[in-house]
Amino acid sequence: MNLLSLLIFIPLVGALVVALVPGERPALFRGIALAVTVIEVLLSALAYWQYVPGNPDYQLLEQADWITLPLGSLGVASIDYLVGVDGISLPLVILSAVVMLVGVVSSWTITQRTKAYFSLYLLLTGTIMGCFLALDFFLFFLFFEFMLLPMYFLIGLWGGPRREYASIKFFLYTLAGSVLILLVMISLYLSVMDPVSTAINAGLIELAGDFTADVRQLLQAQLANGQLNPSLIVHTFDWRYMADGGNYLPGSFLSGAGEVLIGGMPSRMLAFWAVFLGFAIKLPIVPFHTWLPDAHVEAPTPVSVVLAGVLLKIGGYGFIRVAWGLFPDAGAEYATTLAGLGTLTIVYGGLNALAQYDLKKMIAYSSVSHMGFVLLGVASITAEGINGAVYQMVSHGILSAMLFLLTGVLYDRTHDRRIDSYRGLMTPMPQYATLTAIAFFASLGLPGFPGFIGELFTLMGSYQSVYLPGWITAVSTLGIILAAAYFLWTLQRMFFGTTWVRSQSTLANQTDVEPLADLTARERLMLIPLALIALSIGLFPNLIFDLTNSTVARWLLAFAVE
Amino acid sequence: MLHTLPIQLLTALLGLPFMAFGLLFGSGNRSLAGWVAVCTTLLGLGISLYALPTPPHTQIWSTDWIHFQQLTVRLEFRLDAIGKMMLVLVHGVALLVQLYSLSYMHDDARKGRYFAYLQLFVGAMLGIILAGNLVILYAFWELVGLASLLLIGFWYDRPAAAAAAKKAFLMNRIGDAAFLLGILMTYLNTGSFDFGTAPLPTIAGVCLFMGCVAKSAQFPLLTWLPDAMEGPTPVSALLHAATMVAAGIFLLARIHPMLSPDALLTITLVGTLTTVWAGFSALFQSDIKRVLAFSTISQLGLMVAAMGTGNVGGALFHLLTHAFFKAGLFLAAGSVIHAVHTQDMHQMGGLRKALPHTYLTYLICAAALAGVPLLSGFLSKEAILGGAFGWADERGWLARVVPITLLLSSGLTAVYMARQVRLIFFGQPTNTTVLSPHEPDWLMRGPVWLLTILSVGFWFSLNPLSAHSSWVVQAIGQTLPEGGPVWLAPVSIVLVGLGGWLGFRLREPAADSQLAQASQQYGYLDQAYQRIITGPTLWLASLVTRTDRRVVDGVVDGIGLGTVMLAHLIRFLDRFGVDGLVNGAGKVAMGVGQLTRSVQGGRIQTYIATALAVVILVLWLLL
Repeated sequence: MNLLSLLIFIPLVGALVVALVPGERPALFRGIALAVTVIEVLLSALAYWQYVPGNPDYQLLEQADWITLPLGSLGVASIDYLVGVDGISLPLVILSAVVMLVGVVSSWTITQRTKAYFSLYLLLTGTIMGCFLALDFFLFFLFFEFMLLPMYFLIGLWGGPRREYASIKFFLYTLAGSVLILLVMISLYLSVMDPVSTAINAGLIELAGDFTADVRQLLQAQLANGQLNPSLIVHTFDWRYMADGGNYLPGSFLSGAGEVLIGGMPSRMLAFWAVFLGFAIKLPIVPFHTWLPDAHVEAPTPVSVVLAGVLLKIGGYGFIRVAWGLFPDAGAEYATTLAGLGTLTIVYGGLNALAQYDLKKMIAYSSVSHMGFVLLGVASITAEGINGAVYQMVSHGILSAMLFLLTGVLYDRTHDRRIDSYRGLMTPMPQYATLTAIAFFASLGLPGFPGFIGELFTLMGSYQSVYLPGWITAVSTLGIILAAAYFLWTLQRMFFGTTWVRSQSTLANQTDVEPLADLTARERLMLIPLALIALSIGLFPNLIFDLTNSTVARWLLAFAVE
Repeated sequence: MLHTLPIQLLTALLGLPFMAFGLLFGSGNRSLAGWVAVCTTLLGLGISLYALPTPPHTQIWSTDWIHFQQLTVRLEFRLDAIGKMMLVLVHGVALLVQLYSLSYMHDDARKGRYFAYLQLFVGAMLGIILAGNLVILYAFWELVGLASLLLIGFWYDRPAAAAAAKKAFLMNRIGDAAFLLGILMTYLNTGSFDFGTAPLPTIAGVCLFMGCVAKSAQFPLLTWLPDAMEGPTPVSALLHAATMVAAGIFLLARIHPMLSPDALLTITLVGTLTTVWAGFSALFQSDIKRVLAFSTISQLGLMVAAMGTGNVGGALFHLLTHAFFKAGLFLAAGSVIHAVHTQDMHQMGGLRKALPHTYLTYLICAAALAGVPLLSGFLSKEAILGGAFGWADERGWLARVVPITLLLSSGLTAVYMARQVRLIFFGQPTNTTVLSPHEPDWLMRGPVWLLTILSVGFWFSLNPLSAHSSWVVQAIGQTLPEGGPVWLAPVSIVLVGLGGWLGFRLREPAADSQLAQASQQYGYLDQAYQRIITGPTLWLASLVTRTDRRVVDGVVDGIGLGTVMLAHLIRFLDRFGVDGLVNGAGKVAMGVGQLTRSVQGGRIQTYIATALAVVILVLWLLL
């Protein structure tokens, strides 16, 4: 079992252990969760260390045959356990490990049903890792679906007053997206062969190790000319093979020629939109975003942190890996529309954030706006845009985690998140105010913090893109004005002025923390490292770009052919 | 002594203020904080002076910061003649302002934080000066905005200060968004972020200029600057008069070769309009600092117009002279406020006896600002006006509107400055008798005197009536345009005299005077923003939220509800339809069975007859 598999299975084993230990033992469960997530961070650091940045290929691969089923004239069905990382997934894996650890520290405030909570939390950790590490579409989908389960319960059981509505909404929204992804996954499976196994079946080579570029060309030529016996063809869920246009069966549903039309639209285009929609719900993209504010408002703080910090990124990851990665022709074809959706998301989310009275909802909408930049960057199909999109995801992961933690800090004290319930918090809570100000400024794109780089590069990509008109970039810059507006307005309303707190807020205080006491040591322990991480990737953006660059360069080759 | 500046000194120059910021940030109200800040700046000033006589060529330090594939963003710094002038200017004024602050902020409980923010500002401002390409410049540009926000909102518990801080940052953000677009356009056109040498398309130039519009408070993004006066007065002197707002002018000097003729024309017009607009707005203000703020905007407009007319030397020269006398004015105004505890000039009066030093310094600096001969302001204004007339001569009669407007508005300066001096220092004391105002200590008086002395024209040019042989202009590697009519100097002197006389004699207008109100509301610009931008944006925001709740969620919940209803319908159908059918079928079968049983009991003829009847029935039904 290699490093990456450990990343997936240690949390799953941890979840099992927590579930099997009898009785409610909060301290023990917390300890296990903490230990597991610390190990995760160490393992991801080890992965970072072992990864060769200049090499664009998938690395640290582990492959095992999982299901192989000969289906006669339908070929051979095979599903692999296949994990690996490249420059696009590695930053997200490290991000996930860090955010999950911070989430555990933040979970110290969870006191009810800790066994179920931490068990689900660790299950979530494992499935998230699985999502980013799986290279087999089926395996990915399995983790993707399985992630819903712990998330549903974490919101539904430990959430706020409208938790049932929020969790059902989250679940159904995402499930609707999954159905679309599932359809595309099956269509892809039926259209793509596994060249290595097929070559062995066809007697071209003896062992998988003999597979060379020449063999591939020969095999693909045979496939294209219809010289290959259909019963020899091994179908696959392997993304690596799906990304190669030569592996598509001629005349199949998703073959590159686009001869299959559905309602006048080439099937590949349709499949692209389906899979785009599936991941767009996750990111989320306006108008498929309304699950997000509800889920955030109802979710307990650590779950919000994980949701915003990591889960949304699976949407962006799916864009790069599946939607654009497997359907480059469609991504180029609809670039303007897609980037336009990104712009809409940026502006619409920003305007929405401006109108919110609930601090957490404001931050949730700011997440929507910031995720719009990810779509904008991806849709630009430029090196700047894609690198910028991955960077923006990492940056937002760190910063949104910080923002939701900060919201939680206040909520723990007063059980009130309304912006207009507070004035002048700077005086009683200077440390809290300072860290909030840092998080706000970092999020609104102050140079030195990562938000600036993410926005700069996605905008640069979209402005440079041959696919996009200039107005897309111009309108998108409205997003950075809006971000300044909603963050600064909130800062002014809540933290400046003479200190005043709506009386019922302080009365509702039920925890052992003094109302309006400044940060505790545990809270500082979560927030300050995040701020430092943000600062370091903001000052040294090449920490991320060195990882992403070569992979993105190769990824872009698929578009150069067009 | 010719030498280049070693990299260590550059690092020290940039690093020291940021280190001081980190050190002082949590230092509470310790008195030592101020001295640490003063020493840091003194050290910086030393390095800047050491760098001054380095050879005139541009020195560049560069290293890769971000690079992938064809793109490289370099962490690049450059030092050239203009930069050296700015280094000395920023350090010099910052040093004096901090010395002044030692006394002015002595009783403030958070003075450690105050000096920390000042150091952050100095560091960021140095970054702008030394930035070697547009991205680095933009980064420090934003950081300066942050420092400005922190310092304007330093007394954050005052709602007005908090609002002003936010307003300043937001208005700057609007300009900066366009600036960023301009940078992207530059990159698209030239393939790099370097300061180019060839003109870009007009739109790119105008976008870059928008950064200057916001930072240097040009029309229409000027209303943040009067509000920024909510900050401590030394901050107004340093940031919002002498240095930060001049960053826009500095930016124009850097990007000047990249501006197309049309972009330059736009810049000229914006600068000219700003000068008049702000001059008019300064006329009837009653807040001592707001008058100065508008005079700053007006002077910045003059510099911008000079840049537009191609007179880089004149603009930079005015930037330099203006920095000293305007900082002097603000610090002297701080002494006044310190003495009488109000900023309303109508509550002052007759202070020249109680505050002789302040009076004298204020008078000299105001005269320099108004453009009285022998003082520095006269020299630089003449340089700009002369250049503008020369520019207009090449462009026909319509273009003369620009220099004539500039000339008249510099007459306007004399009016409002004379009015201000009259209101503060002459006439009868009104409210202030109870307080027995007195001069501040020498820690505050010293810097003001020094700045006043630096407002004398002699320091800048040996010829007190013309700057053409000025060593300063030569030192920054610029030349002033020849041209300008011979009558210009006498006419402007007469205009200044006339304006001063008018300002001194003018009665205060009635409170309900339309003109006075228009001036006090600076042309209702803020109201216009409220109506055109802020209001509609907030309306749109609430509309969008309602759309989310009603339309988007309406559809989502509708689909959910619809599905549930469909499920219920299907359940109903299942129970009464399918189940009914199944049960029904069972019953029918039983009934038929009974029937057939009875039939079976009969004879064969009955079978045949029945079969026949059924067949006929079926056929009849089908056909």
